[in-house]
Amino acid sequence: MSITEIVLRLHANSYYFFAILLFIIGFHTMLTHNNLIKKVIGMNIMDMAIFLFFVAIGYVRGGRSPILEPGVNHAFINPLPSALILTGIVVAVSVTAYALSLIIKLYKHYGTIDAEEIMRIRGGGSL
Amino acid sequence: MNFSQHLPALIVVVPLLFAFVMPLLARWRKQWCVPVTLGAIIFSFAAALQMAFQVMSTGPFSYYMGDWPPPWGIELGIDYLAAFAALTINGVGLLIIWFGSKDLLHELKPEVLGWYYTLYLLLMASMVGIVITNDIFNMFVFLEICAIASCGIISIKESRDCIEAAFKYLVLSVLGSGAFLLAVALLYMVTGHLNFTFMAEALPEAMVLYPNNLLVAMGLLVVGLGVKAALFPLHVWLPDAHSSAPSPSSAVLSALVIKVYAVAMIRLLYLVFPRELLGIAPVMEMILWMSTLAIIIGSMFAIVQDDIKKMLAYSSIAQIGYVFLGVGLMSESALVGGILHIFNHATMKSMLFLAAGAFIYGTGARKLSELKGIGHTMPIPTIAFCIGAFSMVGIPITSGFISKWYLALGALDVGRPFFTAVILISSLLNGIYYLPIVVNAFFSKPEEAVPAPKQLPREMLVPLALLSFGVILFGVYPSLILGIVYRAAQLLLGL
Repeated sequence: MSITEIVLRLHANSYYFFAILLFIIGFHTMLTHNNLIKKVIGMNIMDMAIFLFFVAIGYVRGGRSPILEPGVNHAFINPLPSALILTGIVVAVSVTAYALSLIIKLYKHYGTIDAEEIMRIRGGGSL
Repeated sequence: MNFSQHLPALIVVVPLLFAFVMPLLARWRKQWCVPVTLGAIIFSFAAALQMAFQVMSTGPFSYYMGDWPPPWGIELGIDYLAAFAALTINGVGLLIIWFGSKDLLHELKPEVLGWYYTLYLLLMASMVGIVITNDIFNMFVFLEICAIASCGIISIKESRDCIEAAFKYLVLSVLGSGAFLLAVALLYMVTGHLNFTFMAEALPEAMVLYPNNLLVAMGLLVVGLGVKAALFPLHVWLPDAHSSAPSPSSAVLSALVIKVYAVAMIRLLYLVFPRELLGIAPVMEMILWMSTLAIIIGSMFAIVQDDIKKMLAYSSIAQIGYVFLGVGLMSESALVGGILHIFNHATMKSMLFLAAGAFIYGTGARKLSELKGIGHTMPIPTIAFCIGAFSMVGIPITSGFISKWYLALGALDVGRPFFTAVILISSLLNGIYYLPIVVNAFFSKPEEAVPAPKQLPREMLVPLALLSFGVILFGVYPSLILGIVYRAAQLLLGL
């Protein structure tokens, strides 16, 4: 496969490509950062990547929103993934809120939001 | 349209509804919280019982939410496994919260007690939802409710350890749910369905066209649900989370929550994915080896623990290994053993955690060395603990023996005696860490004089007695529950 072919293929599948890229960025942020808030941000980026991927499945190139009108014949996008992802977003928001409230409590107990620091204060174990 | 037709929906909806009534009750009529919670779970238990009878007499049936037939609407599918799991969840959950109604008074601040019942009912509803749903996105929603509720019942006790454990659990749970959702996306992409039955029909064709999609989806499902079920090496969150939580929370998390994900994985691997795909990728083989490591290493970690709840938590890692061992061996007896172990471990581990909770309630002692001679001062919890310990080791006439027996037979059936040896070795390891506690409790004296323990209220003694009675009953008459388990295994294997 030549370089042009690869680029063309990536362009044709750009939604998936960028979704995977975002997923890796989010996952990397979540694993490598010690700051708990950054961990939560990474978690959100990862969630968003999955949502993008899911919504992109339902997209039809040149398709319209699926509102049926008599006499008009068009390609429609698949509305189901978008509807499902609305639920997914609600879940992600509530998980984020809960995680942040836990971080506030951790800050009250330890005076820091750095995972290494918390580990040191606690002596052993890992977060 | 009669009432009993709607039981599959009501078994989820009723606890969900009362979960949201609970904060109001906590403000307005505090003393009603406990009876209302117990009432809601008793209703669910009765519904599960009725569903189990219906399944056994007329076969699996399904319920269409809002009367929309699949593939458009959400379908709840009540088969043998679902009815069995729903019965286990509600039966054991009822006894745990009955015990908790007194135990929580000393572990939690009075102003958050009402919220605890909210979280508990949410957890019950979502667990039952996971096991009876026949729609993969619906399952994802219940998985998320379950994840938040189970973190909630840990962090509600606002000590340092609890908050930290809950945060770790939450992050890993979200990772697991993310993997699950990505797998749902990959499966929806190639099949165009979210309903298990329709997906299973479309997958053999899709497997030829897009094998990579399916392999990645299967890998993500196993990892996603494996993190939540604490399958070894993905178990890192479990020991802290299960040991720091209030005792009823530990009991419900160890006994039920991790099993629910195992049930979800069993249904997906056996009923949705085509059998040929399991031939291409050695998923079952991987599950087998992971569970073997879980059984051995979980027990070894448990041996070196000094804190009673931490020891029980590590023992849960080993015990979830048995369930997955039954899943991975793919023979009828082994699968019967694995599914039966879901129930048996639920009863004995909840009993052990509740007994540990009773020790902590009575004396405040958490260290194993402080429990010497406890058998003389707190006889009933100690006897319950002994029965649980014997059952963990797998001594005959306790229920733990039956499931280990079937697992060992299943390993021999497929010609792999190595795994029978693993079960035997792990029984010895279980003996190493459970039996000294039992011996010390009855036959040794405390090092210094200890004050007499607090008297246990009746609400705490009766669930312990019922659970130990159950462990013995299902050990002596396993046929009471084996019928439904056998049919579940046969349906899953397509026999």
